[in-house]
Amino acid sequence: MNKLFRLVTPLLGLVFLIFLFISLRTMISDPLMLSNQKATLDKKSSQYAFFLPASDNAFFSRLKAGAMEAARDMDCAVIFHTLTPESLSFEMASYSGANGIAVFSYEKNQRMVESLAKILKKGMPVVQIENEVVSSPNTVLIGTNSYDSGKSIAKIAMSSGKGDLQIALIYSDKNPALKADANLVEIGLKSTLGDKLAQLYTRTTTFNPIDAEGVIYELLRKVPDIDIIALTDSNDTLVTIQAIIDLNLVGQVQIIGFGDEESIRQYIEKGVVLGSIVRNPVEIGYRAVAALKEMNTNGNTSAFVDTGINIIVNTTNSR
Amino acid sequence: MTRNSLRVRLLFYLSISMIIVILSLGFILVNSLSLQNIAHHRFQEEHYFQEVQTFLVDLQDPLEKYLTDRSSSALARLLFLIEVIREKIPPDRPISSDETYLMKREIYFLIDAYVAQVNQIIELKRGRKVVEYIDSYREMTNLYTHISNEIDKVSLRGFRVQLGEYRSFLDLFRRIQIQNMLLVVVATAFAYSLLMQMVNNITRPMLQLSEMAGQLSNGRFEIPDVHFSSVDEVNLVAMAFNHMKNSIHHYINELQKQTEMEQQIMTERLRNLKMEQLLKRMELYTMQAQMNPHFLFNTLNTGVQLAIVEEADRTAEFMENLAALFRYNIRGKRFFVPLRHEIEGLKLYYAILQIRFPKTLMLVLDIDETLVDRFNCPAMILQPLVENSVLHAFKHIDKTGTIKVRVSLDQTVLVISVSDNGIGMPEDLVKSLLTPHTRDYQLGPKVMGLENVIQRCYFFYPNQKDVIDIQTAPGTGTEIVIRIHTEVEPCIEL
Repeated sequence: MNKLFRLVTPLLGLVFLIFLFISLRTMISDPLMLSNQKATLDKKSSQYAFFLPASDNAFFSRLKAGAMEAARDMDCAVIFHTLTPESLSFEMASYSGANGIAVFSYEKNQRMVESLAKILKKGMPVVQIENEVVSSPNTVLIGTNSYDSGKSIAKIAMSSGKGDLQIALIYSDKNPALKADANLVEIGLKSTLGDKLAQLYTRTTTFNPIDAEGVIYELLRKVPDIDIIALTDSNDTLVTIQAIIDLNLVGQVQIIGFGDEESIRQYIEKGVVLGSIVRNPVEIGYRAVAALKEMNTNGNTSAFVDTGINIIVNTTNSR
Repeated sequence: MTRNSLRVRLLFYLSISMIIVILSLGFILVNSLSLQNIAHHRFQEEHYFQEVQTFLVDLQDPLEKYLTDRSSSALARLLFLIEVIREKIPPDRPISSDETYLMKREIYFLIDAYVAQVNQIIELKRGRKVVEYIDSYREMTNLYTHISNEIDKVSLRGFRVQLGEYRSFLDLFRRIQIQNMLLVVVATAFAYSLLMQMVNNITRPMLQLSEMAGQLSNGRFEIPDVHFSSVDEVNLVAMAFNHMKNSIHHYINELQKQTEMEQQIMTERLRNLKMEQLLKRMELYTMQAQMNPHFLFNTLNTGVQLAIVEEADRTAEFMENLAALFRYNIRGKRFFVPLRHEIEGLKLYYAILQIRFPKTLMLVLDIDETLVDRFNCPAMILQPLVENSVLHAFKHIDKTGTIKVRVSLDQTVLVISVSDNGIGMPEDLVKSLLTPHTRDYQLGPKVMGLENVIQRCYFFYPNQKDVIDIQTAPGTGTEIVIRIHTEVEPCIEL
């Protein structure tokens, strides 16, 4: 009995300490407990507000990623707002306490212009991405040159080897920059293709992600001799590819896509897609923050920052 | 009251047990409060913004009232609410990379702008700048709507985050509850074990002591002392018990020794009694060996005087020798006498025998005269031995009987020999005579003179088996030899 107590008592003491330790560890190390403690803020020097269209496509995701990366590099914070016709966010941006605004205007309307004017009146630096709504010394335009985009589409179209091309150019509300500068895109396209371009058709898709399918069916029904369909949005590209496959027109109707999503790359490798034009959204986001920071610090920066454009083609199938 | 006393130990163990249980319960309370705090903290921000939103809503009514009828009470209420809202908004708004925080920060700035807008409207109203204040009011309304939207957005975001963490919170809650329950169970068991150990420390020695008491009651005093490392009181009881056990053991040993000693004394007494009895028996032997000497002596003296009166000289000489022999025989009752006395007694006896047997008996004395005054010998040994030869050795023999008495010293042994040339003794008689009498030996009514001498020799020299010896053969005579070791003291003091 005595031996039993001599053994059991220290054993129970040990078990008690173990349980106490486990309980303490649970209390101290659990993420909920940790998050409950007053987190010390990683203080930043400035805050910039980005106003982007309500689109989930990869372009804006990567643009945000670029902006976040720049914010980390330049000791500042960024916040993203959705730019919709109904939202008051952009109108009230001048009251938000941000040190600068970056906006991807989907259209140039009165409300947008007034809101930008109000922001600029407050002396806040403004970066306009892809689409320049107002021109002011306090603003910077960052993006790709639409003329170059047209030229890039033309270069890919030429790689098809066909002549007397009947090309359909599909703009999209999801990529308002090219839509806004449609004339520049078309000038670039025409100037490059010259006589090879027999006819250019243009259509526009809405924010509806599957809108492109209806547009393509309608287009092909009306113009069955279309040689190339060029798209200006990655989502529209994928929907169009599926429509061409469904219509069994692969090879007969060539597709010039937009974006460098993995699925688009795979279709390029399979020869379903002729090629794709790719802007650099990460670079755009990064440059936007850098420009805002520079304007905040120095009071001015370059009026236009070109982030360039890339072309993806299937080198093995290229002719 | 020492540190090891029962009271202190009891207090200590009880305190420790209570502290363990209280600590466990306290720990559980802290856990519960922490969980409660988590739950509270999760919705604190949302609650705060809802409160701010309520103030903003409350502000609309007095503002509209003031703008419509310029009510001073509405203005007072308005200004009061503006101050309340200002106090609610944190003045320090550092910038952070956390998106939710940035959203909240923007709301603070928007509220600042809203309050400034309200103030501006009040001023414009006072200045009757109707167009401007209508524009400002529109802007303020937009701001209010936007702030409400943003607050809703932040709250929704917060609720979504909380919803995402709700399962984690439930998991944590369940885990902590189970751990708490186990902790309480283990803590209680530990406290109970501590108490039981203390109780065992006290009861175990008591049980051992009771067992030992049982062993002591069975007479096992040789069991080792008990030593406990228990409380002082128990240790003292153990010490007292050891002392008691050792004392009882000591007393019992003493009693045993005393009993043994008494037994020895009793044995000694018994032995002495038996010795005394033997002595008395010896005395009886001696007395039996004596006739009524005084009466005979006086009678003989009368006979001597009568013979002298009647002029019978040989009779007178005979009776005188006989009287002298009696005189010798009734000497003092001494067990040992000088050897000379024995020789002289023998000579008197022979003088008498010569009158009885003038031609048939001859006594030859071969005695070293240097020895007769140096040594003692048991009294009355020579005359009985010679008398034995005279009475038994020459029966039915016609020749002259010769008895030879020789006294010599063989180193330290005094050798006294009486021999005759008679008929000898039967072997069974010799064996019977040389057998020492036991204590239980019953003396016969008549003891032979030779037997008397032999037994007395054995009595005086019990450890010397060769003190007396008989050598005999039919027709060749008998020799009785007494060997007295002069360096050995006889067993009875003279």
